[in-house]
Parts: sequence; C-alpha cells; structure tokens
Amino acid sequence: MRKASEVGGRPLSLSNLEKDLYPSYGFTKAEILEYYRRISPFILPHLKGRALTLKRYPNGVGEGFFFEKHCPSHRPSWVATAELPRHDGGEMTVCLVNDLPTLIWVGNLASIELHIPLARADSPQTPDCLVFDLDPGDQAGILECARVALILRDLLLPLRLEGFVKTSGQKGIHLYVPLNRKEATFADTKQFSKTVAEALQRNYPDLITAKMAKAERIKKVFINWSQNDASKTMVSVYSLRAREKPFVSSPISWGELEDLAGQGDPEKLFILPSAVLSRAEKGGDLFREVLVKKQRLPYS
Amino acid sequence: MTSTAIWKGNIHFGGIDVPVKLHGAVREERIQFHLLHRRDHVKLRQQMICAHEKVPVPVEAQARGFELGEGRYLLIDPAELEQIKPVESRVIEVHEFVKRGRIDPLYLERAYSLEPEPHEKGYNALVGAMREMGVEGICTWTMRKRSYFGALQPSGRILRLMTLRHADEVIPVKSLELPDISLSEKELKIGGELINQLTAPFQPQKFGNEHQNKLRRLIDQKVRGEKIAILPLRRLKPTASDKLLQALEASLKKVA
Amino acid sequence: MKERPLVRRPLPLPLTGRDETAGQTVWSGTISFSLVAIPVHLVKAVEPGRVSFRLLHNTDYSPLLKRMVCPKDGKVVPPDEIVRGYEIGPDQYIQITDEELDSVSPERSRTIEIVEFIDMEEVDPIYYDHPYYLIPARGGEKAYLLLVEVMRRTHKAGLAKFVLGEREYLVAIKSTQGALSLITLHYSEEILPDADLVPDERGVEAGKKEGMKKIIGEMTADFEPDKYGDERRKKMLKLLKKIEKERTPVEAPAADGEAGEGPVDLIAALQESMRRMKRNR
Repeated sequence: MRKASEVGGRPLSLSNLEKDLYPSYGFTKAEILEYYRRISPFILPHLKGRALTLKRYPNGVGEGFFFEKHCPSHRPSWVATAELPRHDGGEMTVCLVNDLPTLIWVGNLASIELHIPLARADSPQTPDCLVFDLDPGDQAGILECARVALILRDLLLPLRLEGFVKTSGQKGIHLYVPLNRKEATFADTKQFSKTVAEALQRNYPDLITAKMAKAERIKKVFINWSQNDASKTMVSVYSLRAREKPFVSSPISWGELEDLAGQGDPEKLFILPSAVLSRAEKGGDLFREVLVKKQRLPYS
Repeated sequence: MTSTAIWKGNIHFGGIDVPVKLHGAVREERIQFHLLHRRDHVKLRQQMICAHEKVPVPVEAQARGFELGEGRYLLIDPAELEQIKPVESRVIEVHEFVKRGRIDPLYLERAYSLEPEPHEKGYNALVGAMREMGVEGICTWTMRKRSYFGALQPSGRILRLMTLRHADEVIPVKSLELPDISLSEKELKIGGELINQLTAPFQPQKFGNEHQNKLRRLIDQKVRGEKIAILPLRRLKPTASDKLLQALEASLKKVA
Repeated sequence: MKERPLVRRPLPLPLTGRDETAGQTVWSGTISFSLVAIPVHLVKAVEPGRVSFRLLHNTDYSPLLKRMVCPKDGKVVPPDEIVRGYEIGPDQYIQITDEELDSVSPERSRTIEIVEFIDMEEVDPIYYDHPYYLIPARGGEKAYLLLVEVMRRTHKAGLAKFVLGEREYLVAIKSTQGALSLITLHYSEEILPDADLVPDERGVEAGKKEGMKKIIGEMTADFEPDKYGDERRKKMLKLLKKIEKERTPVEAPAADGEAGEGPVDLIAALQESMRRMKRNR
C-alpha cells in the first residue's frame, strides 16, 4: 500500500494512492497528487510563506474531516515551518508550503483542501489583500454571487481598486483586492469591506446582505466581510474542494464571469481540475496580480 | 470701472523700491445652488458636529487641537497662535529672478494685477527690464497676517503678482505609481505628427462659457414646470494597446 | 487664500482634514483626441500643506466634523436626504437633479475631448486656475504614456472642455514629469480688464532700466521652490514642540469599534457611485 518515491529530490513515501477519495465521482488520491503536481507552478506562489491549515479527508469527501493548524510533528525535516503567536501567548508551529515536495507531502496526508490566511507568516498582522467572500444563502446560488461580484467590480473601480475573482469551488465567489503594502492593517480592511457590504445591502436589499444570521440570507448573497481578520483563513486559489466532484477554487476573468452570468447556467461556474490545468497551462495565472499589484484603500 | 485696491506695498530688490497697489485679476461668476432637505426643501446649513455625541457644537464650545496620534491631541490656545503670526510689513521682497516659463503651472495659485503709484518712474522701468530679460521675480510678502510666496511677472505694460504654492503642497508625481510601458519610436513619431496637425494658437476667447446659458435655460424650463429630457451618458471604448498604432495612423489620415 | 477646486456635486460631506482624500478619484471617464480614447481617473495634484489643527469639542475632546444640519430640528441630515436647489424666490427653491445637470451637455460629462493642441508658451499664466493629475485607468496605460511622452517632446498641451456637476471647465492637459496634469483654466470673460491700471506715462528712464537689468542679471537663478519653505509652518512646528514639553495631551473617547459605521466620506462616495451605476444600467 505504500510506495517509496522521490519528488524534487526529496524522498517521499506515498500511501493509498489508488484510494478513491471522491467515491461518487471517481477521483483517486493519485489523481489528486497528479493535479497538485501539475498545478504547482501556479499554486505555489500563492501558498508560499503562508501558514497552511490542513483540511484532511482520510476516508474521502463523504466522510469526516479534521482541521490541522499545527504542522504535524511527524513531518519530514525539510518541510519549512514558522512560529506563529497563539491567543494564549504561546507559539505554534505551522507548515509553509514553499515547494513541490511539501505540496505533495500535504496531498498525501489527504489534505484535499488547502486553506491559508490573508497575511504571510512573517507579518501575520499585515493583510496582502482584502477579500469579499460572497456566500449565497438558501435559494440563492453562484449566479447571484456572480451578479454581486460584477456590481462590486463597478463600485470599486472609481475608488481606484481593481479586484480579481475566483470561484470558491462550492457555491460562492471570492473577490480579492490586492493591497501589497506594508501599511495595510486588518482593522482597515475589515472596516472597509464592512462599509462596502453595508452600503450594498442598503442599495440592493433584495439581493445582498451584510448580516451573518442564516434567516437574513434566504435568497440573498451574504458578503462575508469578517473574513478580513488575522485569525481567519480562505481556501487557496487552485485548491481542490471536498465536494461530490473535485471542483477547484478557480480564478476566472471578468469577461468570462460576465459571459457566464449572462448565459444563466450555474454549472459552467463549477470548474474541474482538467479544465483548470489546461486554462493555466495555456493562459498563465489569472491571479498573479493579486500577489504583486499595489493598491491603497481610500478613506482609511 | 476701476476696482478698489486690496493692499498696498513696495516691491523691493537690490536697493530699489517700487510702490504698487494690488488688485484682484480674476472674477468668477456662476450660478449658485443650495443644499436642501429632500422632504421639505428647507435650506440646510453647515455646522460642526461632535463625532462622538453627534450633536452640533457652537463656536464657544470648540477647542483647537494638534493631533499627536490616534485620538491624542495637544490643546492650543488661540493666544499662542497669535505669537507666531508674521510681522506686518509692506515689502514685496524679490529674492531672485528666474527665466520665464520655468515655474510649473502646478505651482500657480492666484493672480493679482499691480497698479503703479501716480508719477512713479520705477514701475515702467521694471516692466521693461523684466520683459527684455525674459524673467520673473520670486518674492515673499506678508498680507492680512499671512506670509505669501509668489512670482512677479510683466504682462503687457503692467506687473502681475501670482501667489505660488509651497513645494510640499504639490503632490509628487512619484506617488502616482504610474506603470512603465515601452513605446515604439514609430508610435511616438506618428503621435507627434498628429499633435502637430491638431495644433492651433491659444485663443481662449473662442471658448465661451455657454454652459452657464444652457444651465439657465434648464432652470427656466423647470420653473415653467416643463419636463427635462434625461439624455444617456456616452462612454467611449478605450483604444486597446495593440490597436494604438492603428488608431494613431487612422487619426493622422483623418486630419491630414 | 481660497482654494477653488472643481465643484463635484455640492458635496454634502466636506472632508475632515488630514490626508483622508489622498489618491481619491475626483472624476473617472475618458480623454480622447481624434480617434484615440484613454480611460483615466482625475486625482488631486495639490494639497494645502499647512499644519492642520482639528477642531475639538471642549467637553470630551472629540473631533468635530462638518455636516449639513436641518435648521428646524438641528439634526444632521444624511447624504441621501440632501438635494440641490436653485433659489427662485425668498425661501422658494426648485430641485435640480444630477441627471438633469448631466443632460445639459451629456457628451462632455464622461469624456474630455481634446479639441486642439496649443504651445505651452502661449498660455498667459493668469488663465491657470486649479491643477489635478490624470492617471490611467485599466487598459489606458499605453495610450496615456504615449500622450505624456509626445506632449513632452513637442512642448504642447491639449485644450478641452468638460462638465463636472454644476460647471463646465475649460482645461489644459499637459505633460508633467512623466504624468498628465490637468489644469482648469479661467474663461476669458473672467479675466478682469487691467486697462485702468496701465501707467499714464509711457516714458521709461533708460538709465533706471539699465541699472535694474544689471541687478536682475546678478540675481538670476534657477527656480527652486524648496528653498522657500513655509515660514509659518516652521514657526508652528517649533511652537508645538515647545508646548508638547509643557502640556499633557488630551484623549478623545475611543472611536466606535466594529459595531460602528464606516468612514462617512467612504459611505458618501459609495452612495454616489451606486447611484451612478444604477442610472447607467
């Protein structure tokens, strides 16, 4: 059941490769590792230097999972780590997925989903970007999220802020506004995103809510501004999601989003690994600007 | 039609004094609007509101503070500010002269015309000397308890005084974080030709403020209770960077 | 001396000091010349650099904000309840909406069309009013940089008219250290005649003039505005340093935390954008 292997010059013992982790669809651990290997040139820059939260599905996506914030103590010696302050004043050791061997090792732990904070481990209080996490309530779906994302784009543009979108791989859409300035604080990003969310709620009361309560969210899109916090994580761009099918949190251009929203077919906004790979290998990383573009929040 | 002078002083440089009077050089007239409350059209007034209690604060309950950090202020007594008011003087001190055209218009603030005192011989001489040398004078003066920085310029047969902004009031271009994209010589050449083709003499009289009249007509229509047609706003499609050369060439063909 | 920036709508929420407005867009649209269209944002180019004091409430040392207040009940009126009116009689106003204003010259509300180019030297400085920078919006970067470079090389400026809110502006667009600056110009009818100020005597004493030229020649240098720091500011900072040693600072009550509203100016800007978006849809 174990296979001795070598990835990027590092010895790795891979286990249960033939195990189908998406049983209703059919996608084995080997296929998961192959996806992560091929997407690695695109996903690694986004994971680099950030504390990884593992979300492990040892028995597949239909079964239980567990979160792991600590880097497992059985890690190979070459896995990069960082010490992050804990709420109780102590420190905890976290994994940094800086290279291909670490990415494959993490995949081998059946950590299908890769979650990371908005700040790097060496500056945990400085968000590199602001995020609008668009989450549909009951009786709403990804098409409503797409509509909200397009409204947000038009609203941010006059404020000189360019946003980039990815599907969540579930029913939502994530809009990232790169900042990449050392002056950025979570207090500012949270205040800004909350103010924007509330203004949108006032103007589009039938479509948008800024309130977390489930009852408020029926038929509406909840703009989860509270994700802009040092203690929160977001699923990484290009990460697989643990749904019935191996959908990916995939970047998407504004033009595509406009087209797909116009066509009204939600299925087209659920993107599978094969499509993600061919898009990235042909067109490059649509999320690259998120890592480099410098922008400043006005009025803060 | 002679306007009244707003201030009197002496231009001073290198042991020479030329007495002058200041007049405003520009006057703007425009239609004035007011801010009203939507529900009853009562005219609103501007007031200072306490950020914490959200109530209007009258002048006698206002204090002046210098912000040291987030929410921390150093209270300043108005009498203390009185101490640093500049000393009143009647001298427009010219410190140096610079060649005409060296002052970026971003620095220019407000224009005044200078009237000579009757029978003053120095005025004409100064206008002539500055014009022949193609220079303007950089000067400082104090007027109405404020110190000013400015440029003295000849204009026809009179002198003008422009107040200038201080260097740290002009936002540096660097802070705009403009992108860096290389341009081909061909694009630059055709762009240059196009601009030369479109060049005309500067004749500001050609551009009247006809908008004011249109605005007046709009108001009249409203007063008569007519309905105003709302016209759609047009937004041009940006020229794509790979179509730039093509657009320039087509433009040149059109104007040539 | 009064600042006379562009009048965007009658902004009911004047800004509260410091540099909250840095980088804030005054207007977004397109500049065009002939068949080239460049999307741009208009931003501030100057910022009054005086030592800024804040007005505080003398009871709790909270900062004061300028707001529009209803004279009948003394309550602050939120921005979405404020409209623009024109006075047609005592206490009698008619309401004019933004849409109606934009309809006066719709083609000039979204586009700054450069109608011709001029030589910079020909512009009498008296025409210059208030400066701004233009920065490229998405997709306009290359054409923007081309215009910057070509105008720098030819020493030309573009002349255009455009409408912002209640006014139509005549503007010059020029190249400034690698950026485009936009300077609003006075209309020629706003320039006061100065014929009355011209000296009665035409005569110039040649000796006097030559003496002046000699002195001017000795005093000619490069324009270096940095040399003329603001005296008042320097004195002010000195005074503040002295006071800081003698006096304990006061503290304003903590700003409303997460439960509070966002910055009012951001709320107003968002409201304005949304109104415009809904209209354009």
